[in-house]
Formats: sequence, C-alpha cells, structure tokens
Amino acid sequence: MSNLAQYIIEHLFIVLIATGISVAIGVVLGIISYWLRFAAQIILWFSETIQTVPALALLAILMVIFGLGNATIIAGLTLYALLPIVRNTYTGLTSVPAPIKEAARGMGMSKLQRLFLVELPLAFPLIFSGIKISVVNSLSIAVMGVLIGAGGLGFPIYRGIQTQNFRLIMSGALPVVVMAVLFDYLMSLIQKRLTKH
Amino acid sequence: MKSARRKIIALAMVLVLALTFALAGCSSSSDKKITIGSKDFTENTVLGEIFAQLIEAKTNLKVERKLSMGGTFVNFEAIKNGQIDIYPEYTGTALTAQLKMDVLNDPDETYRIVSEEFDKQFNIKWLKPLGLNNTYTLAVTNEVYEKYGIETFSDLAAISENLIFGAEHEFFDRPDGFDGLVETYGMKFKGEPKKMNVSLKYQAIGNGEIDVTDAFATDGQIMQYNLKILKDDKLFFPPYYAAPIIRKETLEKHPELEEVLNSLAGLLDDATMTELNYKVDVQNQDIKAVAQEFLKGKGLI
Amino acid sequence: MNFIEFVSRNRAVILSSLVQHIYLVCVSVFAGILVSIPAGILLSRHRKIADKILAVVGIVQTIPGLVMLGFALLLFGVGNTPALVVLSVYSILPILRNTYTGLTEVQPGLIEAGYGIGMTSSQLLFKVQLPLALPSIISGIRISTVYIVSWAALAALIGAGGLGDLIWTGLSTYNTNYILAGAIPSAILAFLFSGLIGAVQRLATPRGLKEVKHDE
Repeated sequence: MSNLAQYIIEHLFIVLIATGISVAIGVVLGIISYWLRFAAQIILWFSETIQTVPALALLAILMVIFGLGNATIIAGLTLYALLPIVRNTYTGLTSVPAPIKEAARGMGMSKLQRLFLVELPLAFPLIFSGIKISVVNSLSIAVMGVLIGAGGLGFPIYRGIQTQNFRLIMSGALPVVVMAVLFDYLMSLIQKRLTKH
Repeated sequence: MKSARRKIIALAMVLVLALTFALAGCSSSSDKKITIGSKDFTENTVLGEIFAQLIEAKTNLKVERKLSMGGTFVNFEAIKNGQIDIYPEYTGTALTAQLKMDVLNDPDETYRIVSEEFDKQFNIKWLKPLGLNNTYTLAVTNEVYEKYGIETFSDLAAISENLIFGAEHEFFDRPDGFDGLVETYGMKFKGEPKKMNVSLKYQAIGNGEIDVTDAFATDGQIMQYNLKILKDDKLFFPPYYAAPIIRKETLEKHPELEEVLNSLAGLLDDATMTELNYKVDVQNQDIKAVAQEFLKGKGLI
Repeated sequence: MNFIEFVSRNRAVILSSLVQHIYLVCVSVFAGILVSIPAGILLSRHRKIADKILAVVGIVQTIPGLVMLGFALLLFGVGNTPALVVLSVYSILPILRNTYTGLTEVQPGLIEAGYGIGMTSSQLLFKVQLPLALPSIISGIRISTVYIVSWAALAALIGAGGLGDLIWTGLSTYNTNYILAGAIPSAILAFLFSGLIGAVQRLATPRGLKEVKHDE
C-alpha cells in the first residue's frame, strides 16, 4: 500500500508542476492577447489546435524531444492546460468594463499598473475557473504518462490492464477520480467566494 | 486595493512553490543507487526483479526499480542515456533490432557479436547468459493444429490465408519481426494483422479474435491456453539468449555487480523460466514473491 | 528513411488504420447521439434531477480513458467491441449536456406562445424547442467528435486498430516515422471533423442567437 501513496504523490507532483508552468505561461499569453489583438487570434488558435491533437500522439512526439519520463508528461499536460487558462485570461481581461478602465487611466495609472491593480484582479475569478478546469483535466490525462515512462497512478492502472487485475486498475483509478472531484469541488467553492466580491 | 495585492502575492507564492517543487524534483542521483529496468512483459519483469533482489542482498547498493517500462527500444534508450543502469536483454533482439544486422543462427556467434558491438558502440557490457533461449515462435490454437495438421512454419504458410494473425505492436517494426517472417515463408494471412498490447495476445487467441500469434517460447500462457508451438523450419528467428546488460560506467563505479549478476549464469534455463512465468501469469502469484522463492531455492539469498 | 518515403512505402497500412479510426469514431459518436438526445430531452422535462444526473455523468467523464478501456477489456475481451463501448460512453456527456442546455435555454416566452396557439407538448418539442436547441446540440456533437478522435488512439492497445496502431508501433520501437504517420492524420482528422460539423452548426444557427465564448 505504501506503493500507492508513492504513486499518488508522484501523480500530484506531476499535475501541480504542469499546472504551475501552464499558469505562468498561460496568463502571460492571455495578457499578450489582450494587449495585442492581432496576437490574440494566433495565440488562441494555437491553444485550440493543441486540444485537437490526440493525447497519445502529442505525448509520443514530445517523448522524442524530452525523452522518457516525467519531463514529457509534464510538457504534454502544460500544453493541454493552455487553452482554458489562456482563453479565460483573455476573456476575463476583455470583460473588464470600459468605465473602470477609463477611471484607472484617469487616475494616472500606467498600463502595467492598470493591469496589476485593476484588470487582473477583476479577471481573477474567470482565470481561476480556467485553472480549475486545467487541473481536473490534467489529473485524468496524467494517467497516460505511464505509456511514455513517467510515474504516477497510470502505472498501477496499466499493470492492472496487462494482468487483467480489476483491483489493481481500481487502486489507480479511484484516487484519480476522487482527486478530480475533490479539486473541482474545492476550487469551485473558492471561485464562488472570489466572485462574490 | 489591498485584496488585489493579496491575490497577486498568492499567485506568486503558488508559482514559487511550483518552481521549488520542480527543482527539488530534479533529485540528485545518489552514488549508492542503481536503477534496474525491464520490458513490459512478465518474463522480463521477473528477471528484472530477480536482479534487483540479488543486488540488494549481496551488495550495499540501493536499487530503484523501473520495471515493466515499455518495449525493447524504450529500455534501450533509457540505458543509453543513463536513466537505467541494467536491464535483461536477448541476444537475437540485440542483433537484429538494435544493431540492425542480419539474422544469425549460431548462439555463440550471436553473443560474441552483440557483446563486442554493444561495448564498442554503446559502452554497454553483456554479462553471462542466464541460460534461457526465449525465442520468438508461432503458436496456434489446438483447433487449428488439429484441423490442418500443421507442424512447421512452412506448413502454416500453406494455409495462412485462412487464419488471422495477431501480435504486439513492436513485432511489426522489427527486422526479426512480421515483415521478415512473412517474406521468408511466403505467408499471407487473412485480412489485416491485429495489433495489441503484448499482454493481451493470449486472451485474443483464447477467445478466437486471432488464430495465430507470435509467442515467446517461455510464456506461461502457452500451457494455459493449450497452444501448439510450430517449428521454425527455415530458421528465420535468431537465438534469443537472455543476459543482463549493464552500463560500463555503472560497472566501473560498482565492479562488484559483475560477479553478483554472473552468479545467475546458466541457472535460468527454458524450463525454469517457463515455470516462473507460469506462476505469475497463470497462477497470479506476486512477482516479488516468485523472484524471492527462486533466489532462495538456488541458495543465492 | 525520410518521412515521405516512409509514408509512401507504408501507405497501405496507414490507410487501413485511418479507415478503421474513422469507423470507430463514427460508430461511437452515432451511438452517443442515439443515447444523449433522447436523454437530454427527458432531462429537460425533469429539471430537478437533471443537475444530479449531469454531475454523475460528469464524474464518469473524469475517469481516465485507460481505466475505461481496462474495464471494457475485462467485460468484453479484446477487439472492436470494448473500444466502441468505451468511446460511446465518452461521447455522451458533451452531447447530453448541450442538448439539455439548448432545450432549457429556449425562452419561456416562446413556449408560452406555443401553448397559446394550441400546440401539444410534442409539437412544441419538435417544432420549436429542438430547432432552437439545434446549434447547441450540434456544438455538443462537434466537441464529442473531436474528443473521440483523440481517445480512439488508445483503442489500439486492446486490438481495435485505428491510427493508434501506428503511434503505438512507433512508441514501441522509438520510430518517429510511425509516430508521425499516426499523429498527423489524427490531428488532421480532428480538424476536418471539427470544421465540417462547425459548418453544419453555423447553417443551423438562426440569426440572432449569439454565443458567448468562455469556459465556466
């Protein structure tokens, strides 16, 4: 059973790192899309396109670049997590009501100040929602990591399939589903609290 | 806007945490640790586990297991770039799949060539063969055997258009695999060959999805499903003697590994290996337990 | 061997894998539609339990594809059947959710009006609600299809064939050509399906119904 704990920790570790990286990249891309509308088309198109590439295919290609192991699955999860985060950041920022932006400009704020002090905070609930979606999706997709040599809960699941062992499959699947439901619930709660302001 | 600043700080903290995790995750490789890999089928995993337990018992090294990692090439890449130090390989596979040389039939010659070339080209050393020759072979159901009265691959080729062939994906992209086999014997199977995960072949032949499969000679399921092994009359498949292969770099750091692993030489012949495989695949015994029982039985631990 | 050479050498197996993949996708999405649309209609009539049912289906959706395949394997063995079962189940949620949302977001005023001119419940359904919900339903079908094109790649593991065969062979032997030969067509396939169904969706959208694009 200590094995299971190890798999769960590995799994979470992979998902959290990937989420961290995709938040960093995704929010920045979202901001760029907001500031440079022509870039918005390209960036959003790129993020959407990644979603249409089958996970197995994307991971296979990434494996050739990053080799076997966690690096590849983290790269893959990061790419898949981009769309919800980028799109929600962009939508969140563009939804800030014009009068508020005017007021900020009127108060003498620079573009950067306006971004950090007004626009991002207002867009935060939507951005957070995008992060929530990424996390929940990543928990599930991370299972595929086992196919390219990564750790995580995919391992007992895959072994279970190979040995046709229902209990082994479940020992991997149950934590994944529980975590997905838990994160979704908790993050939705936080999101509601953020939206209340 | 205090709450805004707070939110940004929170976000920044999360990112810092993630980065710390990332850096911590790139754990420094300990000098006292070696990693053992294996291919993702039972026999290779059992062998990997046997190596691991033996090393743990006979040396003061810590063993990290990356067993059942993937196919031949996954393990090969991993040992080349240092992700694993040791894994069980087969001479025939090394000759045709990794060295991409023509098939040979002399076991000693095959071993000599792969030893030399792996040493020269990849800095990998072949330790002493374990005894077993887990050759690719073809297996058919008892029904097919009775119906067509076939004994050899050539016999099979003659009636192959009535049969569906199935194998794991790897078999279709190896020189000692499907294409070579079909060409040498002039086989023409019914429809498209079915491809699936290596662990599912026997289930597929058992429920009639396929009629013929590439079996590994020491697979426990051959007995379980009452399959008939055919004779490779044109000697298409090379010999596949199993041996531990190890990075020379690792061997230099820990020379004791050579003697420890060589103590297995010749102890795992076909019959013994098949029995171990049978225990895991058919009797569903735990791999660790089976490996331990074997080592204890031979007085090695 | 460069990629172009590889493709022309192996075009037979690439083509047959592609055809099998399309077959898997079409059958499962079709099965999903057969289940989801009636179910969506039913749910729209019983809104109280609709939320709970959608939540449950949502949870099923978080079950990783590999796990579902594992279960199907245990139940149905190897081959097309388990793959089709799993893919059909996965195709249900987007279509079901969008059918439900599409139907329930029809303005009450229109429903009133319908009853007002003497329509029966089923006339209302077929002449007012469904046509208005159509863009949403088709959008759900589009999402499902793209999703299934992606997940069908896993079907190769349990002997159902498809483009996953090529990807998986490539993964086993570290052969980039095989990987690309499977990956590129699947991406293109997803694009094509998305584009085609998207075009149908635009045709079915009456002027005046706008879409606000964000994920909630």
